[in-house]
Amino acid sequence: MANISCTDIVKSYGAYPVIEGMNLSIPDHEFVVFLGPSGCGKSTMLRMVAGLEDVTGGRIEIGGTDVTDLPPGERGVAMVFQSYALYPHMSVADNITFGLRRQGIPKSEIAPRLEQVAEMLGLAPYLDRRPKNLSGGQQQRVAMARAMIKTPKVFLFDEPLSNLDAKLREKLRTEIRKMHLQLKTTTIFVTHDQLEAMTIADRIVLMRDGKIEQMGTPDEIFERPASRFVADFIGTPAMNFLHATMEEGHVARAGGIAITLDPEAFPSLKPGQKVELGLRPASMDLCEPGVENAVTGTVVLVENMGAEGQVITEVEGEEMSFVTQRFRRLSQNDTVHFAIRRDKVHVFDPNTGQSLRGV
Amino acid sequence: MKRKTFVTLSLVPAIGILASLALVSVAGAVWFALMNRTLRSSDYEFVGAYNFLRLLRDKRFFNALEISAIWEVVTVTGTLVLAVLLAVLIYETVKKPLWRNLICFAFLVPVLLPRVAAAFIWRFLYSPSLGLINYLCGLVGIGPVEFLADPSLALISVAIVDIWQWGLFFTVILLKLMETLPRDPIEAAMLDNARTWEIHAYVTLPMLKAPIISLALVKAVESLRSFDLIFVMTGGGPGTATETLDLYAYQMGINMGGRISYASAMSILLLIVTTVVFTIIWKAGKKWAA
Repeated sequence: MANISCTDIVKSYGAYPVIEGMNLSIPDHEFVVFLGPSGCGKSTMLRMVAGLEDVTGGRIEIGGTDVTDLPPGERGVAMVFQSYALYPHMSVADNITFGLRRQGIPKSEIAPRLEQVAEMLGLAPYLDRRPKNLSGGQQQRVAMARAMIKTPKVFLFDEPLSNLDAKLREKLRTEIRKMHLQLKTTTIFVTHDQLEAMTIADRIVLMRDGKIEQMGTPDEIFERPASRFVADFIGTPAMNFLHATMEEGHVARAGGIAITLDPEAFPSLKPGQKVELGLRPASMDLCEPGVENAVTGTVVLVENMGAEGQVITEVEGEEMSFVTQRFRRLSQNDTVHFAIRRDKVHVFDPNTGQSLRGV
Repeated sequence: MKRKTFVTLSLVPAIGILASLALVSVAGAVWFALMNRTLRSSDYEFVGAYNFLRLLRDKRFFNALEISAIWEVVTVTGTLVLAVLLAVLIYETVKKPLWRNLICFAFLVPVLLPRVAAAFIWRFLYSPSLGLINYLCGLVGIGPVEFLADPSLALISVAIVDIWQWGLFFTVILLKLMETLPRDPIEAAMLDNARTWEIHAYVTLPMLKAPIISLALVKAVESLRSFDLIFVMTGGGPGTATETLDLYAYQMGINMGGRISYASAMSILLLIVTTVVFTIIWKAGKKWAA
């Protein structure tokens, strides 16, 4: 087990920079998720920690040792790939123990470790099979077993659940989380799925274009997004954005819509200032007309999500959506009133996209 | 039904040509083998299995059989071992696509040479008085070595030419196959502490087992047809040191003896032996590759 520290990491392919001066410190035992859209550099970052990519500049330390120039096998890391990356011609048991055998660990020691890992991941009945005779979920368990048996200092997961169907993904996500609670090995997990990140992470590193956009616990990222990009990326259904101008009394006005903001959260806002409001559909609900922050719109579409429904409305020519449990009595072209609590409103600078939240 | 008609119509011409070319000549050979025809006289009569029985008492025939078997084993394993070693070496050391393509192009040249041309080039290279190889040997104080005239060296010297032509060609094929392999298992092996040679021995080459077996079979079939190479380089000599079955059949039937029937019997036997052996190898290879 070990902490990971990355200092001034730069990575470029030719003249094209992928990661520009990234600093990151991951304490021991932490489960960190690299989250971001495709091409943001999260997988590259992970592969550099693994040693599968050279760094163009900077230093990577694992457990206090500089591993920047060490080959992958000597870094004490284990990795689970999106494609599982099993050795197709070997049995499950041989796949799992390959690394230990390469280290020259005696058979008598490998056998009980194999048994223990196979037991833990429910692979005991499949040890003699070839990977191609296993389902996707079983194959990914084999890949996890192969990583676990080495008792590495660090676990690296590169979008391990992306090739699985939704139900299995959820199940394995829980298993990975449980495994971490049990083993407490420092873990980096790469995903582009914000829900996966929210549910599994101790801490999320949200990346964009090779830079860290925001770093924090899932709650911090969700409740206090540092920028419009983060706010837009996290949360389903996606946040509504509304261009507005500040008026007296901490009111943001966009046409007929007036939203009163929390002066404590946004102390720096001045009347006349242009802002962009972020309103989460899940933070809004139906209300009586005339209450604070009420918005009136016409129902365009109601999406049934089971326990609740997303209502997409048209408000002064713009689409806005909110989530309610009382969606079943709504139908197209109804006029609805919905409101948001003032402490749930996010405000961003329309030019820089940065959050205008004070403190 | 329409599809079936189409398939039939497409296959009929090819099978027709194959049947008329292969079956007619095989039938002709069988017919000759049962006679006692020679080029010397026009008289002949039916002798039954006489030619086949004589073959079983022919020491030179068994020598040729042995030479053929050695030739097969040496050229097939030599080609594959050279191809695997070179492919891995290039895969690990030459990373720039341009250089790889240039090397591949250069490696394709020998196999594009007609056999007879390759044979003549190497005859000059091997020549004790004029040859480059003997010149180099002379520099380090060896030789001159009679590569093609020494009975213990002749077969291996000719085999080297065959391996040079086909081993380099197979290197290109193997290298291209290795490039198509998924990177992930290789990277997983790197993370699993495998050294470079271990990655290839335990991961990449086993993943290429099926194509390598196919290549071995292709080469085995190809090696059976090395008549031109051996004929130009040694003509089967010195003595019978490089006389494979097809060379012996040629010597018997056309060159010296003119004993067509005897040579036909030999070729029929060769056909049967290779069919049986190859069927067994093919089945075993398929089982092993699975």
